[in-house]
Amino acid sequence: MPTSRDDFSIAIRSALLQRGAKQKFSLFVLILVSIFIFTLDNANLKPIKILRSLINDGIYRISAVSSSPIKFSGSTKDFFVNHMFIYKENERLKIELNELKSNKFESLYLKTENNKLQNVLQLEKESAFIVVNAKVILDKNSPYLNSLVINKGSNARIKMGMPVLNEGNLVGRIVEVNFISSRILLLNDLNSKIPVVISPEGSQAILAGIGEKNPSLQYLPENFELDDKENLIFTSGKDGVLFPGIPVGRVIFESNQVFVKLFSDPEQIDFVSVALKRPEGAGVR
Amino acid sequence: MALVFKGLKESFLRLGPLLLLIYICISEFHTQFYYWDIFSFNLQFIIIYYWVLRDPGILGYGFVFLCGLINDVVLSLPLATSAMSYLFVSLVAAYVRNATVRTSLFTDWFTFVIAILVGNFLYFFLMNNFVSANIEYSAVFYNSLFTFIFYPVFWGIFELYKKFSFARLNA
Repeated sequence: MPTSRDDFSIAIRSALLQRGAKQKFSLFVLILVSIFIFTLDNANLKPIKILRSLINDGIYRISAVSSSPIKFSGSTKDFFVNHMFIYKENERLKIELNELKSNKFESLYLKTENNKLQNVLQLEKESAFIVVNAKVILDKNSPYLNSLVINKGSNARIKMGMPVLNEGNLVGRIVEVNFISSRILLLNDLNSKIPVVISPEGSQAILAGIGEKNPSLQYLPENFELDDKENLIFTSGKDGVLFPGIPVGRVIFESNQVFVKLFSDPEQIDFVSVALKRPEGAGVR
Repeated sequence: MALVFKGLKESFLRLGPLLLLIYICISEFHTQFYYWDIFSFNLQFIIIYYWVLRDPGILGYGFVFLCGLINDVVLSLPLATSAMSYLFVSLVAAYVRNATVRTSLFTDWFTFVIAILVGNFLYFFLMNNFVSANIEYSAVFYNSLFTFIFYPVFWGIFELYKKFSFARLNA
């Protein structure tokens, strides 16, 4: 037994310290350097934060450029797939067009009624938020984080925690701000938890990401029952960070659990708007 | 001229695995496919383990460390988390190289389990104790499982790469 223990220690020592002919560093030295860097990064010192921010900006830009062949191949594949299914799509669109024609008059009536009601309530018809538009430059998922990197940062007045919208719907919030880039934590990430309100009942709940496409609703009131009508989810703003009234998604029931189908598919986002602030005196949309 | 060209070609072919590793770390290259949610694998672990074990001259520890840092930045993990994980995978590979005389696909494959366990344990340890982020344990489990299952496939590809590229250069 002592012999085998000796063999083990010799092999480990050799693996850790031996540099070999073509290795410039030993594993032992590099592990020590890693521990040092990890400690510095976790210390949250301001100079380290600035340095990390600069490194992030540089790497994200290189990453965006190096990812372009992958993006190109993806869009080429989509192009061919779309062409293959164009006949089916045409049939579906014809049916949809007929439905839309029948709904047209109803929509016109509702639009007129909506305008009247807005005049009554004196709601602002302009955009509900002052936003900054940004392009998604990096979309790399891992088992640890569902996030996106955008091409605007503190140079565009973006700050931590700001809500991020896609076509007016909430998709996530800012969790990392660099000078010319930022990271969005998507609503379906395991670490995302935001307070929401369910319309029309007005019940409060927490929208929690579960790492899958549709996040779930947690902390629902006791004896919660869904309305026969469509149940829509909006931000409640109870956390004091997100603005209230941002559309999020609609409630769906799957295997006796309450999930939320997001209005904006987190896997199909190319452009986003970061809500910087609400204009003075603007109401909830 | 021919000698210079041969030298350049040799350098490029020897850099192949390193370039692949850097590209995977820095680009948007997904090893996770959405049409089957649980399917994902860690190609970085496979590349590092294979080349450190079979031909350590190809993949330097310094580059492994650098790729880990790049991966941390791209995935927004605390700096040196992946670097440490990759270095411990390299450590297992270096240990197996020193401790065994004759290696085969099966010895490589089964010792790779230890490398995956060590690498992922370190991730868990660092993420749980120093970062306030939740981890999707099932995703990591499937990731590890498919990484293990796919090792022989990439072992075969890398063996072929070595056979064709290096044999041609030595000819």
